[in-house]
Amino acid sequence: MNVYGAWVCLLAPLAGFVLIMLAGGLITRTQAGILSTLSVFVGFAGALVSFLATVGEDAEHRSELSTAWTWLGAGGFEAGLEILVDPLSLVMMLVVTGVGGLIVLYSTGYMAGDDEERRYFAYMSLFVFSMLMLVQGGNLLLLLVGWGLVGLASYLLIGFHHDRPSAIAAAKKAFVINALGDAIMALGLFLAIAKIGSLDYGAVFEAAESGELSSTTVNLIALGLLGGAAAKSAQIPFHTWLPDAMEGPTPVSALIHAATMVTAGVYLICRTHPVFEAAPRVQHLAAILGLITLLVAGLVALVQWDIKRVIAYSTMSQIGYMFVAAGIGAYGFAMFHLVTHAFFKALLFLAAGLVIHHLNGEQDIRKMGGLRKAMPFTHAVFLIGTLALVGIPPLAGFWSKDAILAATLADDSVLGWLLLAGGLLGAFLTGVYSLRLYFRVFHGESAVAPARGHEAHGHGGEGPRSMTAPVAVLAVLSVVGGLLQVPGLWHVFEDWLHPVAEQLVEPTAGQDWLISAVAVALGVAGILLARSAYNAGREIVADGAARSLLEHKFFFDELYDVTFARPYQAIAEQARVLVEEPVVHGSLERIGPGGQFLGGLVGKLQTGLLRSYALVVTAGAVILAIVFLVLR
Amino acid sequence: MLATLLIAVPLVAAVVLWVAPLPRDWTAGVASLAILSDVGLWAGGLRNFDWDDQALQYSASQPWIEDVGFSYSVGFHGFQWWLTGLTVIVGAAAIGYGAWVGRERPRGYYPLMLLLVGSLVGVFASQDLLLFYIFFEAMLIPIYVLVGVWGGPNRVRATVTFVIYTMAGSLLMLASVVALGISQGTFSLAALGTSDNDLVFLGFIAAFAVKAPLLPFHGWLRAAYTEAPIEVAALLSGVVSKAAVFGLIWIVLPHFPEPVDNWREVLLFLAAATLVYGSVLAFRQPDARGVIAYSSLGQMGLILLGVFAANDLGLDGAVLQSVNHGLVSAALFLLAGMIETRTGTGVLSELGGMAKGRPVLATLVMVAGMFALAVPGSANFAGEFAILSGVFFQGWGYAAVGAVAIVLGALYALRLISAILHEARGPRVTEDSNDLVGNEVSLVVPLIAILVVLSAWPALVSQHSFPGDAPAATVVGETS
Repeated sequence: MNVYGAWVCLLAPLAGFVLIMLAGGLITRTQAGILSTLSVFVGFAGALVSFLATVGEDAEHRSELSTAWTWLGAGGFEAGLEILVDPLSLVMMLVVTGVGGLIVLYSTGYMAGDDEERRYFAYMSLFVFSMLMLVQGGNLLLLLVGWGLVGLASYLLIGFHHDRPSAIAAAKKAFVINALGDAIMALGLFLAIAKIGSLDYGAVFEAAESGELSSTTVNLIALGLLGGAAAKSAQIPFHTWLPDAMEGPTPVSALIHAATMVTAGVYLICRTHPVFEAAPRVQHLAAILGLITLLVAGLVALVQWDIKRVIAYSTMSQIGYMFVAAGIGAYGFAMFHLVTHAFFKALLFLAAGLVIHHLNGEQDIRKMGGLRKAMPFTHAVFLIGTLALVGIPPLAGFWSKDAILAATLADDSVLGWLLLAGGLLGAFLTGVYSLRLYFRVFHGESAVAPARGHEAHGHGGEGPRSMTAPVAVLAVLSVVGGLLQVPGLWHVFEDWLHPVAEQLVEPTAGQDWLISAVAVALGVAGILLARSAYNAGREIVADGAARSLLEHKFFFDELYDVTFARPYQAIAEQARVLVEEPVVHGSLERIGPGGQFLGGLVGKLQTGLLRSYALVVTAGAVILAIVFLVLR
Repeated sequence: MLATLLIAVPLVAAVVLWVAPLPRDWTAGVASLAILSDVGLWAGGLRNFDWDDQALQYSASQPWIEDVGFSYSVGFHGFQWWLTGLTVIVGAAAIGYGAWVGRERPRGYYPLMLLLVGSLVGVFASQDLLLFYIFFEAMLIPIYVLVGVWGGPNRVRATVTFVIYTMAGSLLMLASVVALGISQGTFSLAALGTSDNDLVFLGFIAAFAVKAPLLPFHGWLRAAYTEAPIEVAALLSGVVSKAAVFGLIWIVLPHFPEPVDNWREVLLFLAAATLVYGSVLAFRQPDARGVIAYSSLGQMGLILLGVFAANDLGLDGAVLQSVNHGLVSAALFLLAGMIETRTGTGVLSELGGMAKGRPVLATLVMVAGMFALAVPGSANFAGEFAILSGVFFQGWGYAAVGAVAIVLGALYALRLISAILHEARGPRVTEDSNDLVGNEVSLVVPLIAILVVLSAWPALVSQHSFPGDAPAATVVGETS
């Protein structure tokens, strides 16, 4: 049963995409939305069936590979079109289709009335399918396929409002940086083919574990994978596309940030952990990238004015935590945080969507305020999401983030201490920027009037049922989702993943509770700081050099513009003007007389006199043939 | 037998159209009928093709001039069958396009198109060196005339350049053909042994380097692709360029093992340079045709990387990519033609915003663009992946260059898509620039549909190109 369920899970969203595209104007916009939602929920049902069937097996028999046919075969190399169903991919399948389905359902309300709703829902189904391809793909080549398709779907959705130049620029940026990640990963795979001869997970892991590969080879393969992971998960230095990706409709942001895409890098490291364990320095590099990202993102989030951008930077920061965990081998915790983060991040984005919807598209938090009274439901769920993000007990984020921090303590190395210090600082920053956002939006005086006409829809100004219901479900999950793991009591989640990705570090319950106390204290300190700053009516980072640095996001965009974008455009332009045109034209000018002769010849050709041409060719060739034969 | 039929149907139809006193209005119909029968014959043959058989399929052989060992000998191995399929299918789309726009002087136009397609099938089916040469030349003549008569404002200049380049190549190749055949007493490709003559080798290389083209022999490309009637440009970039791939795989690699080995670095370097150069130039072209032309140049560089890698992986990938590129570049050229008929221009700065209200056009341009940039999961990605992992065995640097080109490909393809479809509406895009109509859709959709099928199963082509080992698959880079 488990593979059938998994195939249904994979193919249902694809079917949704194809049907909506082919149906075109034959179905109404509403029907397209329903079809897309159904396709994802059918996928969820498939994943659930597959999950329940797998639970029935004993722990050692929970992994199954199902091959449809040979996808790419060339020379002696073969890679099947196959899916892998095991505890790790099942977790991802459930999150992708479950949270994804809620987001698509929400979209049916959010996008209602848009001119191109059908296209939107087709792309949403495609996005979910791509992510499922990525997590279910049974070998590294299919992983790369899913990897690229996710990039494609994000391009289509970020640029959904294609008449907005900023949206198209953001979409292209996302695609190109992701393509760069794909290319780096592909290089790692070429090396694997050359040295191992296969991209099957089993063969690659065996080769990595047996030590038959040179350390250079393993390091390079791991670096290739890490490059792809960092680009997809928006880790430094490949992070610049993520904030810009806020150009997409808000549910798309939720999908990118919670259910799909950015979590892919974390999944990749957990999936291919034998390769990373054979290349410990690269694995530590992943943790360090995660640490830098979580701090940089946390700092930049302090000065953002766009409600979605604040949440976007919080995503970068939280993915940073997951990279930290995966980088020290705490795979179970990385995946645990991935799951809880999917709940509360989807919740935050969708709640932000309610706010934006309510305010008729306004996203600037300077123009918000006092929404607590006008939107009590949104206020409540946003607060839940915010506190879960900060890690306040007993909400979901508390259990998963603190598990990661405890693991860094248990790692007991210089790197571990560094990660712990950075992670705790990050927890403080999270409290500050999250609550700054919360107070600005929901407290104080109302700064703008809500959109007119909402009352007429009869949903009290907070959104139709199709929007509020998914948000409510996510709010519940954000509250209880963390109970999968309670230190000292049970660790169901970790045990479930154990056969696939055995943890390298295991904190004791004592370490866990100790760290929790410190982290919560820091989070609360952050909250209090944000509150006092808000009450005093001032910004947390005062104007000056520091603020300027943060507002320019540490100048990464400017740096890349100067080092890559502009030079490439200049080189391409110069190649065209200085090289291509002279070469192409020059070759004609130089053979001027010959050209005229041939021009005349062409004229004759047109009138049908082919003979002179044939004669010239034959005579010349015979002479040359003799020369060839004699000269040698 | 089938091989002869596939060649003969278009050629006979061409002759009939020339000599028979058919009414003018019938020409398009007769031409379409002929090319569609060819497609039908090919599709029928596909069902019965025995992929495991080492022998030629559907072959025919008849001694012609026995004194020099010249025979009419045709037939197919797997990769030849795929290239033939590409020819007839793209040929059908191109002739259909000509009929749709109503090319002037149909009594000249359709026979020439059929002659071109028939000669191309002949090239891909040839099992005799001299026969190959005859078809190779026969294919050039209709191109000269089609560009020279039905082309754009600068057609004469474009034709002259094209003639000079190809004639130089042909001349050298003819000399090589004669030298190789005479010295060995036969022209049969199966009977010909190997040669270590560098000059003869370079004669072939010259012709194929011009045809592909390979840097720096690409001087004819821009003008020819810009000035040619757009369906001829589709055939040129999609199919005619593959004659070079065929020649390299079936003539050069098996018969010149030593020279190939000696010149491998040079050839690989030129192929890699072509890939990067084409991709870079495609990024700054002011018009749609220019982008497609230079992206084609880049893609040919990629395919030749696979060929010169000369191992199973690279060659299988090169065949797969030849088919993919042929289909996608033809689709793009035809789409560019449809856009030009609507707006009167292909200049990108005057286009834009065409996605709004034109869902069919938008979808097809987007899908074709995604295939062109080889989005992972597409057949083009599979081909690219096989080629680059094959060339990795010859040096990681070539694969690294190829990986860079993946990103460059994304840059030019996204620029093309956005410039046509997105942002503000361009000055030449008016309310009258309507969405694609049924006839146009029926020309492009089959090309895309085949690419979709190949994306689900690229191994269909890559695993069924060479029975047993690829020709001259050298010991280097055996993957087992």
